[in-house]
Amino acid sequence: MQCRTDLGLCVAFPPSPVTRSGTQKAAFVGSSWPAKMAAPAGKVARGWSVLALTLRTAVPRLPGLTQVRWSRYSPEYRDPQTDKEYYRKPLAELTEEEKCEQELRKTQLIKAAPAAKTSSVFEDPVISKFINMMMKGGNKVLARSLMTQTLEAVKRKQFEKYHAASAEEQATIERNPYTIFHQALKNCEPVIGLVPILRGGHFYQVPVPLPARRRRFLAMKWMLTECREKKHRRTLMPEKLSHELLEAFHNQGPVIKKKHDMHKMAEANRALAHYRWW
Amino acid sequence: MATPCVFCGAAAFYRLFLGGRVSLTRRQGVWKAAAAELQTDTGFQILRLRHTTGVTTKKNVAALRRETYTVDFIKKQIEEFNIGKRHLANMMGEDPETFTQEDIDRAIAYLFPSGLFEKQARPVMKHPEQIFPKQRAIQWGEDGRPFHFLFYTGKQSYYSLMHEAYGKLLEAEKRQSQLQAKGLFSEKTETKDLIGSRWLIKEELEEMLVEKLSDQDYAQFIRLLERLLTLHCGAEEEFVQRFRRSVTIQSKKHLIEPVQYDEQGMAFSTSEGKRKSAKAEAVVYEHGSGRIKVNGIDYLLYFPVTQDREQLMFPFHFLDRLGKHDTTCMVSGGGRSSQAGAIRLAVARALCSFVTEEEVEWMRQAGLLTADP
Repeated sequence: MQCRTDLGLCVAFPPSPVTRSGTQKAAFVGSSWPAKMAAPAGKVARGWSVLALTLRTAVPRLPGLTQVRWSRYSPEYRDPQTDKEYYRKPLAELTEEEKCEQELRKTQLIKAAPAAKTSSVFEDPVISKFINMMMKGGNKVLARSLMTQTLEAVKRKQFEKYHAASAEEQATIERNPYTIFHQALKNCEPVIGLVPILRGGHFYQVPVPLPARRRRFLAMKWMLTECREKKHRRTLMPEKLSHELLEAFHNQGPVIKKKHDMHKMAEANRALAHYRWW
Repeated sequence: MATPCVFCGAAAFYRLFLGGRVSLTRRQGVWKAAAAELQTDTGFQILRLRHTTGVTTKKNVAALRRETYTVDFIKKQIEEFNIGKRHLANMMGEDPETFTQEDIDRAIAYLFPSGLFEKQARPVMKHPEQIFPKQRAIQWGEDGRPFHFLFYTGKQSYYSLMHEAYGKLLEAEKRQSQLQAKGLFSEKTETKDLIGSRWLIKEELEEMLVEKLSDQDYAQFIRLLERLLTLHCGAEEEFVQRFRRSVTIQSKKHLIEPVQYDEQGMAFSTSEGKRKSAKAEAVVYEHGSGRIKVNGIDYLLYFPVTQDREQLMFPFHFLDRLGKHDTTCMVSGGGRSSQAGAIRLAVARALCSFVTEEEVEWMRQAGLLTADP
């Protein structure tokens, strides 16, 4: 199956219980793999189903494919949970599954929290991801300031509209820049995507359902490309980006049009849907 | 393969053209000790005589065969090891009776210092059971008849283990149905401490059985044991426990700094942290107003970037102790982000002394106490 792995390789990956890899330190298909396998539907008290033991497989040394992304952590390290509320929940409120998971975490090694992550209430994972995508050359300071300026610009525009509007309209105007941002990106997410599949020497664009993370990524990517390329040289990024976000929030604008184009292409190519085998 | 080919000594390179098929047999006189390449070309075949020595051409059959150690050999090795251990203890001036394996390792490291990077290539003196791989004794008697009734399955220990486990499962089920029929069956669902232990992994099971297993065999076996566990029968518990290994509880590994007291009687705690090439040392006072001083400068001036200040506040905010501690840090090396990360680690470690064990475990799970590699 041609899947996007964290390695940046295209490797066929049927999940199977295999022996420990030992010295391999490569990053693998989403750290959610063991978590997914360690939470079976049924017997939770014995949360250790056989598949939960699957430690990551060794990377097959295929010619022409090299490991792109490494990790200094060995495979048994888990991602940290920085949410304060998760730990403050009283014992009575936890379900069986959560209790089991908590017990399990006590035995696991945890990675260090990344530098951009805190337990602050002001932190938003979507915003952080967007800042990272906007960043160029490692200049996180600039990207973050652009983001804050964008959110400020969105807020200002909405407040201007609010003060200029009548009483009935005021109820409908959304002023929180974070909700506008989230809603705009959600509106830009495509439902179905196209994947080039090689058949009989030709590449066909086959319509394919997209996983959630791919959709989020495409929405952000389109937004950024649109703002970077289609703006006048003198306009600044926050201004353009705030404008695009507001348009997307109202389901208008070039990014929404791009999403609709993608949907139309998928609809046009629906005859090729049977080329998909997964 | 009697004598090496005379041509080899001359380091000559021959090209022999032969019409028709040639069957290459090593016993042919001319090319005895040489590796010849059969090169098919249109019509005829060319034999190219390569100059090689006799050693590389012969397949070292003796080395490829697995070395079998006899029981007597192993016994002798064990005796020699024990005597050697006593000699070593004498040499090091220690009591031979209480000379443990760690003492042996230390003595060997002292007597034979080795700078080799590969730890397994260094001199080692261990009990022969750990050095010689476990092998199976001859599985059949003099008349050729095998001892074990499952010998012809190929994996006799595995199948006999499965047989035993399944027998226990059937017994447990029978007992349960009997109890249910009598009405004495109680729905007891005690959750045993399954978290502190894990199943054997495949390599460990292979080692235990001295047999090669496939992944499916292993999975099947673990499934059977899990089924056994669901039946909650006391008799089978020890049988199942044989196949479980304990897992360390990670939080116990942390070293908590002791709280110190300065001249004014104020409690404080010191700790170090590092990230990339930055090293930091933080002193956290138990009572304060939330001031943080880095290298003598206020943190607002030292870290103009918001992200770094957020990192400094992270441990305090996580434990809801934002305005309650005063901190003084010394940091050097690295860039601004790694200095912030180093201070964060140092502060988190220092805070461990003022905080309950549960909160320490929470900090560990939030990734505050792990040094970024």
